[in-house]
Amino acid sequence: MLDLLSFGPNGWGAQLLSGTLMTLLVAVSAFGFGVLIGSFAAAAKLGDRLLLRGLAETYTTVVRGIPELLVIYLLFFGGSGMVMALARVFGYDGYLELNAFTIGVVAVGLISGAYSTEVIRAAVRAVPKGQLEAARACGMPKMLILRRILVPLTLRHALPGLGNVWQLTLKDTALISVTALAEIMRIAHLAAGASRQPFVFYTTAALLYLLLTSASTILFEQAERYANRGTGRR
Amino acid sequence: MDDHCISALADASPVHRHPPPNPAAPLAVELEDIHKSYGPLEVIKGVSLSAREGDVITLIGSSGSGKSTLLRCINLLEIPNSGAIRISGETIGLKTGRLGRTEPADHKQVERLRTRLGMVFQSFNLWSHMTILQNIIEAPVHVLGVPKAEAIDHARMLLDKVGILSKADSYPVQLSGGQQQRAAIARALAMQPKVMLFDEPTSALDPELVGEVLRVIRQLAEEGNTMVLVTHEMAFAREVSSEVVFLHQGRIEEQGHPDKVLTNPDSERVRQFLSRHLSS
Ligand SMILES: Nc1ncnc2c1ncn2[C@@H]1O[C@H](COP(=O)(O)OP(=O)(O)OP(=O)(O)O)[C@@H](O)[C@H]1O
Ligand SMILES: [Mg+2]
Repeated sequence: MLDLLSFGPNGWGAQLLSGTLMTLLVAVSAFGFGVLIGSFAAAAKLGDRLLLRGLAETYTTVVRGIPELLVIYLLFFGGSGMVMALARVFGYDGYLELNAFTIGVVAVGLISGAYSTEVIRAAVRAVPKGQLEAARACGMPKMLILRRILVPLTLRHALPGLGNVWQLTLKDTALISVTALAEIMRIAHLAAGASRQPFVFYTTAALLYLLLTSASTILFEQAERYANRGTGRR
Repeated sequence: MDDHCISALADASPVHRHPPPNPAAPLAVELEDIHKSYGPLEVIKGVSLSAREGDVITLIGSSGSGKSTLLRCINLLEIPNSGAIRISGETIGLKTGRLGRTEPADHKQVERLRTRLGMVFQSFNLWSHMTILQNIIEAPVHVLGVPKAEAIDHARMLLDKVGILSKADSYPVQLSGGQQQRAAIARALAMQPKVMLFDEPTSALDPELVGEVLRVIRQLAEEGNTMVLVTHEMAFAREVSSEVVFLHQGRIEEQGHPDKVLTNPDSERVRQFLSRHLSS
C-alpha cells in the first residue's frame, strides 16, 4: 500500500504532490479573484448608484442560489463561447479556447466572490463612521482613507468571515475535477481507478485537504491577531 | 424667571478673559447665509457668521438647534444647500451635482482647505488600529508630506503639551476618555491648522475628566489660536470666548460678547436656556 503512495515508479506520490500544489494554486487564485470582485460588489451594494447596486444584487443572488457544480458547468460549456463573442465585438475572429485552469479559477472565484461580497459589506458597515470622518476632516483624499483607514478597519471585522470563505473555496476546487484539471480530487480519482484501491486514495485526498485547511486556519488566526491590534481582543 | 442662577454666573470671577476682538485681524472663517436641509427638514435657516484670527467663537443652544450641523459646514463634513463659505478669504466652490444635491466643485480644494481646519469630535474618533503616536503623525506624513522623523518630533512635543507623552505607544482603547480627547486635540494640532473646530469636546466624558480637557483648550485660547467651539460648559464659554452665538431652530437668536449674552441677554429664550443650564 505504501508502495502505491510512494514517489517510486509504481507510486502516485509525485502526482499527488503536484495535485496538491494545483489545488492550492487554484484556491489561492480563486480566493484572491473572489475578494477582488467581492470588494467591488460590496462597494456597489453600499453605494447609491441604483444600476450598480442592482447588478451586484443580481450577481450574489444568482451565484448563491444555484448549485456550485452548475456554475462550473455553465462556465465550462459557455465560457469559451462568451469570450469568443466578446472578442468578436473587438474585431477578433479566430477560435479561442479557455484552458481548464482559467475556467476553474473564474468559476470558483465567482462563487467565492459572492460569499466574500456579503462578508465585506457587513465588515465595512461595522467600521465606526467617526473614524472615517476624522480622516476626511484632516484633508485625507479618498484613496488614502481607503488604504490607511478603511481597509485595515474593515479587515478586522472581515477576517473571520473571509477565513470561512477561504475554506469553502479550497473545498470547492474539488468540483473542477470534472474539467479534468489535475488537482487532488482528479488525481485521487485516476489513481483509485488504476490501482483498484479507491479507499486508500480517497482517504489520502481527505488527509491532504485537512492538511491544507488546518495550515490555513493557523495563518488566518495570526492575521486576525494582527488586524485586532489595539482592540484589546485576542 | 430664574434670575438667581444668572447672577450666580455673573459673580463667578474667571481667571482669564479673552481679549476683545481685534477688528483689524484678517478673517479666518466666513459663513454667509448658510442653509442646510436633511430631506424636507431645514435645520440651518440662513446663518452668517465670521471669525477673525485670534477669535474664539462659542456656539450654544439647545439640543437639535443646529450647532453641530453649522460647525460641520465649516469644513464641509456637511455640504450646505446654499450659501458661501470662505476660509482665509478663499471661497469654497460648490456646484449642483447628481440628483440635485449640492457638492464641492473641486475635491482637491476641499481637501487642501481641510488641512487648515483642525477638528475635534465629541467621541474622539481616534483611529483604533494605530498607536497614539501613529494617529498624530498619520496626516502630517501622508497628507502634508512632512518627513517622518520631523513629524515624530513634533508629535512628541504636542503629546507633552497635552500631558500624555507617556501614552505615545499605547492604543486608543488603553486610554481614558480624557486622555483620548487630549490625544485627538494633539492630532488636530499636528496639522498646524489656522482654525480649530470643537464639537462638544467634553460631552462624552465622565465629570471628573472634563477639567483636564478644558485646561488644554483654555491654553490654546490663551495662545491666540482661532477656534469655533460648541459646548454646554457655560462657565467655560464665558471665560474663553470672544463671542458667544446662541442658535435656536437653525437661526441665530442672539450673539455678542460673552458677558452680555451669558449674563444679561436680550432674548427671553436665551434667558430660559441659561437658567436651565445653570441649575443642572
Ligand atoms: N444626518 C442627519 N440626517 C437627518 N437629520 C439630521 C442629521 N443630522 C442632524 N439632523 C437633524 O438636524 C437637527 C440639528 O442637528 P444638530 O446635530 O446640528 O443639533 P445640535 O445643536 O448639535 O444638537 P446637540 O446639542 O444634541 O448635539 C436635528 O433636528 C437633527 O435631528
Ligand atoms: Mg451636536
